[in-house]
Amino acid sequence: MNKLNRRKFLALAGAGSAAVTTGGAITLANLGQTKGNTLTFRAVAGLPSRLLPAYASYVIEGHVNLETRSGVVTQTLYAGEPGEMSRIAFPGQSRIVRITDAQDLGGTFRIVGVIDDRSQLQNGESSTFDILLDPAQHIGRTSFFGSELLLHLEG
Amino acid sequence: MADHLDAPGLMSPNGNAKTDITDIYAFQKSGDNDKSILILNVNPLAPTLATEFESNGLYQLKIDTNGDARAEIAFRIQFTPVVNGQQWATVRRAVGEDANADENSGEIIIKRAPVSFGSQAHVTKSGPYKFFAGIRSDPFFFDLIGFLHNFHFTGSDFFLDKNVFGIVLEVPNKTLGDNPNIGIWARTLLSTGDADGDANDYTHDDRMGRPAINTVFNHGQAKNVFNAIDPIQDRAQFESSFIGTLESFGYSADQADAIADILLPDILMYNYNSSAGYLNGRKLTDDVIDISLKLVTNGQITTDGVGPHTDYLNHFPYLGQPH
Repeated sequence: MNKLNRRKFLALAGAGSAAVTTGGAITLANLGQTKGNTLTFRAVAGLPSRLLPAYASYVIEGHVNLETRSGVVTQTLYAGEPGEMSRIAFPGQSRIVRITDAQDLGGTFRIVGVIDDRSQLQNGESSTFDILLDPAQHIGRTSFFGSELLLHLEG
Repeated sequence: MADHLDAPGLMSPNGNAKTDITDIYAFQKSGDNDKSILILNVNPLAPTLATEFESNGLYQLKIDTNGDARAEIAFRIQFTPVVNGQQWATVRRAVGEDANADENSGEIIIKRAPVSFGSQAHVTKSGPYKFFAGIRSDPFFFDLIGFLHNFHFTGSDFFLDKNVFGIVLEVPNKTLGDNPNIGIWARTLLSTGDADGDANDYTHDDRMGRPAINTVFNHGQAKNVFNAIDPIQDRAQFESSFIGTLESFGYSADQADAIADILLPDILMYNYNSSAGYLNGRKLTDDVIDISLKLVTNGQITTDGVGPHTDYLNHFPYLGQPH
């Protein structure tokens, strides 16, 4: 019998890279520039995002150097809706995004990246990452399995 | 999910996976229409979150024999603490007002039945009853990740390699009451001690009738409220929110009201003279998620693309070997 203890469960969840693209409403948390040109942000979305109660929280967070246009962003699916989020991540649902471009568009930020480890991508899931952040409006947008996902920025 | 992890934060009610109900099933015994099989599964992702049954709790299958959303019959299962790697169950059958009470009353019908912690299923026979309790393959099937990804189903069954702790009872239909049309739900209790010095007191932990009710319709703390109350309180407490959810999927107010009246109270209806599956009882192979998706989404979504597992047994205890 395969025993999957909590530690292993969490390790599986966090170890690999993970992908997520979502298609609903995301909450962006904690967006701000720190240390000169480094943009640090954290985004949270409840999933599923349409009509029914959210079971999970999709978190996008990372650091992006706006000068070198590089950085790393992670995407993780945690058990529990936003506000009730646990620290248990769904196995195979985390992704690491290597940032390939970042632009300050005069108050909004467009961040583009790629998921290098494509082994865990699901059918229909893109390896590219593209998010538009608007701190003034506390919103952002990305795509999720071909649908636009509205982001809400917190903090 | 059926009822797995149905507390806020996708956690077990009261943080106790041992008494976290995942599913219940009720179906005619194949080849013997005078008997029924009742299954109560708990402990999602076993043994990740818990490795035994709760000895400070009580597991119950409640039977409503007259449609009043109150139990007239209850099967109660109590487990000993684990000693030297072994755990034992006692099964009681309570009738009348005792069946409604939150106490460990009732006639003992099975004594000292061993819990199975390995692949081999230890079955206990006592008079007309058969009983099993132990770790088994989780029979539930659902593309959970596709659901979380806003219904972008990929045909991947999240539960294919998961286990639960199963409680399986084979009972003569006559022990379910004279009226073949019954209602069934499961209720787990946690002991709060013995404050009055007569017997253990219990508090409500988890509750389930039909699959994907509390998990799908209720938000945040409402999930805890739903678990805490009894089915007879369901409509008063939750009908309006259920109607709102159904209307958001395109149902008219009248349609939503009618469906909410079917879904609440959360009781699994079962005619023990019929071998039909869900919504008449529930067989292991019934694709309850597809049925629920069609119903709840007003036909907008019809399937998650996954079907029954292939490890079910065609004999007692019916649940497949653990992974």
